[in-house]
Amino acid sequence: MSTLPNKGEPITTTPSSPASKRRPILWVRNRWVLVGLVVAFAVLFPWLVDRPRFWIPNIGIRTLWLGTIAMSLVFLNKYVGLLSLAQVTFAGIAAYGVGYFSVTLGLPYLLSIPIGILIGTLAGFLVALIAVRTKAIYFLMITLAIGQVFFSYASQAIEVTGARRGLSPILREDYGFVDFRTLEVFYYAALLAVVLLYLLCHYLANTSFGFALQGIRDSPDRMAALGYRVNRYRVAAVTFAAFVASVGGMILVFDRSQVDPDVVSLGSTLDVLIAAVVGGVGSLGGVFLGAVVLALLDNFAQDFTERYQTLTGVIFIVVLLFAPAGLAGVGGQVTRAIRKRRDRAAPPPPEHQEPQAPVPAESAIQKGNQQ
Amino acid sequence: MPDSTHALRALDVSKTFGGVRAIKGVSLDIAWGERISVIGTNGAGKSTLFNAIAGVFPVTSGTIELFGEDATRLPTAARAKRGLARTFQTSRLFEGLTSAENVYVALGGTEFSGHLLRSSRRTPERWLRVEELLDRVGLSGRGPMIVADLSHGEQRQLELAMALALQPKLLMLDEPAAGFSPAERQHLSALLRDLPRDITLLLIEHDMDIALAVADRVVVMHDGEKILEGSPADIRASERVREIYLGGSIDDAA
Ligand SMILES: Nc1ncnc2c1ncn2[C@@H]1O[C@H](COP(=O)(O)OP(=O)(O)OP(=O)(O)O)[C@@H](O)[C@H]1O
Ligand SMILES: [Mg+2]
Repeated sequence: MSTLPNKGEPITTTPSSPASKRRPILWVRNRWVLVGLVVAFAVLFPWLVDRPRFWIPNIGIRTLWLGTIAMSLVFLNKYVGLLSLAQVTFAGIAAYGVGYFSVTLGLPYLLSIPIGILIGTLAGFLVALIAVRTKAIYFLMITLAIGQVFFSYASQAIEVTGARRGLSPILREDYGFVDFRTLEVFYYAALLAVVLLYLLCHYLANTSFGFALQGIRDSPDRMAALGYRVNRYRVAAVTFAAFVASVGGMILVFDRSQVDPDVVSLGSTLDVLIAAVVGGVGSLGGVFLGAVVLALLDNFAQDFTERYQTLTGVIFIVVLLFAPAGLAGVGGQVTRAIRKRRDRAAPPPPEHQEPQAPVPAESAIQKGNQQ
Repeated sequence: MPDSTHALRALDVSKTFGGVRAIKGVSLDIAWGERISVIGTNGAGKSTLFNAIAGVFPVTSGTIELFGEDATRLPTAARAKRGLARTFQTSRLFEGLTSAENVYVALGGTEFSGHLLRSSRRTPERWLRVEELLDRVGLSGRGPMIVADLSHGEQRQLELAMALALQPKLLMLDEPAAGFSPAERQHLSALLRDLPRDITLLLIEHDMDIALAVADRVVVMHDGEKILEGSPADIRASERVREIYLGGSIDDAA
């Protein structure tokens, strides 16, 4: 397989999307077909299951918020090269925002929800200001530490967070035109929010801003030399990811009907990390696969083993060993394996499009002069 | 006093890394549009001088004026915005992106720095500039290839395209011909000689043919110091340069 462009093809005037760089043979060719199928399944899901009362919240809605928080982690990792362990903290801060403003201060949810999202996003911004100056493992450690600091704060600040008991009840309401008390309505509203967030992440990755983030991921020095103020971009990206996580926190808080320190515990952080890795840290949508797996394990593993955490760990290791790109990467892995076998069976014909020697000096210079 | 007749003035610049004095009191005056080659043995401090001028790290002492303005404390990005472009000795490309996308990003720091949130599909003017730049360095048709699939020579050419994307007033190239085939060297040499005269050029190059063919003036560095400065003819005739290069290679072997 040659990745060289065919002679006849126009040279890129539009960006080649990652999908077109290496075409899968076997997997769905178009990302959007796959996305469409997954969304269609998610839409039909409440009708496909035997006990909707159980499946919608425990598997469906849980997958949506866990996946959203994990997606925010993957966005940062994939496009900025930062591994943040504070995503669940941002979601939790947003959730506490709703709890504080509605349960403690009595504001209507229609106000406390945007306030909560704003606070979660702002927390991301502040953390970013401190953390983006560090890189790689230090960024990870700082975000982890910040998460732990918030956890101990949440466990103790009784007048703000309700300490260990948390803040409750945080109940869904009937707004007349929509009745969020109905599980299905809540589920579809959450699904809509998640789909929009996914599209937003995807859109952003293909803007100038998104390209700049990818440049920073690959070579911050180069980006500075090109005139980009690297840290501003990093701060913006972390803030955006905190916003995504905060929306996830909204789904979470209305799913649990309360917010307590568990939400921001190390265990929750690990859940998010596991969902991201099992789904595939290179895939925005793949995290939802990881989240489903985790939700299923949480709910069913106890039925056949007492050591369900061991089972989660084992599955995590198996995925790491056999599908390092996560479940979402399996398609590509299979494609490559097939391609390899096929190439071995029938060696490819000699390439007739050898990489050409550089364009003769004259012609390139003439082109240069025309500018 | 900053002085606007010079594109670049480095005054007594020193840089120390831990105990290593990488450059020791180097001064350099470069007039607008001048082309300077910096030569010297490995470890002479050439790249360090570039990094100091580009603002990669603060200098230990001395001042740097860019385009008639004191730039000693300006961050890298601000220097780039004022018209300083540089390439790196070892390619620093965006490995996960295609060649075209690399240049696309390069254009976003300065010329196309607005419209951050507009979809890249809706910026045809910018993609046209990308194509022009790829053509100019001899990478026509390589746009859709991801960087990892490019040959070494092509990666160096891409480096150059990305520096040119800044429409620089001062262009600093760190060994642009490293690892080039003879044909690629010729192409590069011609391309550099053919740059518009209003681009001031500072070139580090081990290939003497290119270094001397392109330059109006040559600066010889050795052991962190500027030891000689002169026309290409002077340098070609210099006993001192010959000595250092021989001495340098003996040092290297030790
Ligand atoms: N970031 C750094 N940290 C520590 N020492 C450094 C650093 N950069 C350069 N040096 C040291 O400074 C000295 C000059 O290095 P420099 O890279 O500037 O040389 P050069 O002239 O570019 O050599 P070459 O021709 O090999 O590229 C060397 O001794 C080098 O080891
Ligand atoms: Mg060097």
